[in-house]
Amino acid sequence: MVLESELLEKTVTIGNQLGLHARVATSLVQTMKRHTCQVTVAKDGMEVDARSVLGLLLLAATPGAELIIRAQGPGSREAVEQISKLLENNASDHVG
Amino acid sequence: MLQTMLDKNSETPEQGPKEIPQNTMVKGIGVSVGIGIGQVALMERLVTEICPCRILTPEEIPGEVARFEEAVENAEKRLKTIKSHIDSDHPLEDHSYILDTHILLLRDKMLYEGTKRAIEQGRQNAEWALSEVMSKITAAFDSIDDEYLRERALDVHFVGERVLKILLGVSSEKKIYQLPASTILVSHDLSPADAAQLKKESVLAIATDVGGRTSHSAIMSRSLKIPAVTGLEKISKLVKTGDTIIVDGSTGLVILNPDAEMIFRYRQRQELLRNYHQSLLAFGRLPAVTSDGGREIRILANIELVDEVDIAIAHGCEGIGLFRTEYLFLGREDLPSEEEQFEAYRAVVALNKPYPVTIRTLDIGGDKIASSLNLPLETNPAMGLRAIRLCLNLRNLFKTQLKAILRAAHYGNCRLLVPMVSSITEVHDTKIILQEVKAELASEGTPFGEDIKFGILVEVPAAVAIADLLAREVDFFSIGTNDLIQYSLAIDRLNEHVNYLYDTLHPAVLRLIRQVVNAGQAYGVSVAMCGEMAGDPVNVPILVGLGIDELSMNALSIPLVKKMIRSISYDDCLELTHHAFQMQTAQEIHDFLEKWIFEKFPGDYFLSQQ
Repeated sequence: MVLESELLEKTVTIGNQLGLHARVATSLVQTMKRHTCQVTVAKDGMEVDARSVLGLLLLAATPGAELIIRAQGPGSREAVEQISKLLENNASDHVG
Repeated sequence: MLQTMLDKNSETPEQGPKEIPQNTMVKGIGVSVGIGIGQVALMERLVTEICPCRILTPEEIPGEVARFEEAVENAEKRLKTIKSHIDSDHPLEDHSYILDTHILLLRDKMLYEGTKRAIEQGRQNAEWALSEVMSKITAAFDSIDDEYLRERALDVHFVGERVLKILLGVSSEKKIYQLPASTILVSHDLSPADAAQLKKESVLAIATDVGGRTSHSAIMSRSLKIPAVTGLEKISKLVKTGDTIIVDGSTGLVILNPDAEMIFRYRQRQELLRNYHQSLLAFGRLPAVTSDGGREIRILANIELVDEVDIAIAHGCEGIGLFRTEYLFLGREDLPSEEEQFEAYRAVVALNKPYPVTIRTLDIGGDKIASSLNLPLETNPAMGLRAIRLCLNLRNLFKTQLKAILRAAHYGNCRLLVPMVSSITEVHDTKIILQEVKAELASEGTPFGEDIKFGILVEVPAAVAIADLLAREVDFFSIGTNDLIQYSLAIDRLNEHVNYLYDTLHPAVLRLIRQVVNAGQAYGVSVAMCGEMAGDPVNVPILVGLGIDELSMNALSIPLVKKMIRSISYDDCLELTHHAFQMQTAQEIHDFLEKWIFEKFPGDYFLSQQ
């Protein structure tokens, strides 16, 4: 049994060489479209909605930065899973 | 002397802003010769500054929210359309995610909900609400240390501006505000409408990130005599307003943070060039007769603004071979009235009397956009509804312009030039409308030039092919080389991936020109040339040899072209042309002509390239 009302929290480190940049933020928001749960991403006390590209970019998360993902609601476990994968992925995406 | 060459393509996202070393050189494309030394005025995308601010009444709020939502929806549709045009094998495919980013940004809650909240709670009109939200977000980005992430503020700008323009109902043009006197204009890009608003007195030079030699802004900076370098890629991010820089339009170099010695060296070069151009001016007053008296070529000027007539006359033009009228229509919401157009045309006609003024009817569409016309976006504007096609479609607009031109013709020597003709039918249709307009003017009792000369711009390959048929219908031909080359070689001159193929001296181009001249001569129709090709010193002898009657060019080129024609013989030009027609490639022809000119005019050749 999964307690969907439970608040999930996971800490991840940015693997991408360029940090949480536009391409990652875009994939992240697109991933969130498949979910209905509430997800936030926080860094140094600043917490933003994972559905906001602007919010994610404004975290100014450079490579190696630590981020806390918080999720609550249906499918939150899966969402955290997918988002942490995106953030930790260290593929050397280039700047667009 | 310490010099650093900046790699334009270097991405250093992990670093913060850095001090620019002294005498740092950035290489771009020199598109308008001359040297500018001065302080930077960085031109931002200024649409946010023209927003009207208004407090809404409570009843207006729901409508305003709906208007904003609709604008976002339109912007979203447009972005999706653009994205759908990028196939998997498109060179931009790799970057197409940025369009997804922009699409998401449109509905990002900070921007979208933030703006709606400002409308609902702050009772601000949509434009005001949006631009305020945009500046808040941009300010937040400004404080980020990481350079790459900080630059994402630009994406917010692009997206926000797109919506703002829809709300404002304006075209995608920037407004150039009153620039401080004697500055170097630095901008990401410069649209023809931007360039049209430039004042020679206030701008020492121009440096832009994008653009090529034959973009309209490059052509305009040449005609305004403003040194310009384009294609600098990141210049608008490297400099700030107030920085001192040197722009060398001859070499395409821009020098950032120059030291005293560098400034001194460039001041000396500036002086040398000024003296040379001064000494050339004397030739402007003489006719362009070949040294053996075999031929006289009429030398006219291309202009876009009434203000340019003085410079053109000072350089010795024998009339105006191309008066582009688009600038009366650009950068405004409404259409210019008959009276307004008439005043502009009459001024140019009167100033040039007794010499002719060739007024080209509206050549809009393509890469020029009149916000007043609300033209639909086309996927291939160069081949779309533009120029005479558009005019025959928007008959009232065309008639208004023809009326204004006919009235101006009463005050001097005026010729009518119709752009982009590709069939006899277009000539017939235009003539019918012209007759109608004449009849209307006659019945109103308004004086007009009854015997105005009627000519067409030969710039579509189809027009060249039927030049013999067209010659029976018109009083003169004018070869528009910029478009003729673009259409015949199938090269979009604004596309940086193929513009290296844009060869003025391509054997195909020379043969097309010869065909037009032959048709003209057979029917006693004079043949002019008004493209960029006409004013380039390298082309002068071959154009004389080809039998062109009239060359119309950027005013600044006139003295040198006259000097050259006066010191070469017609026989030599014929021989040279014959020779060039044996050659197989543009490069071969170019090298041959360059060598010929260099041997005849070593000093001029060198200095004209400076």
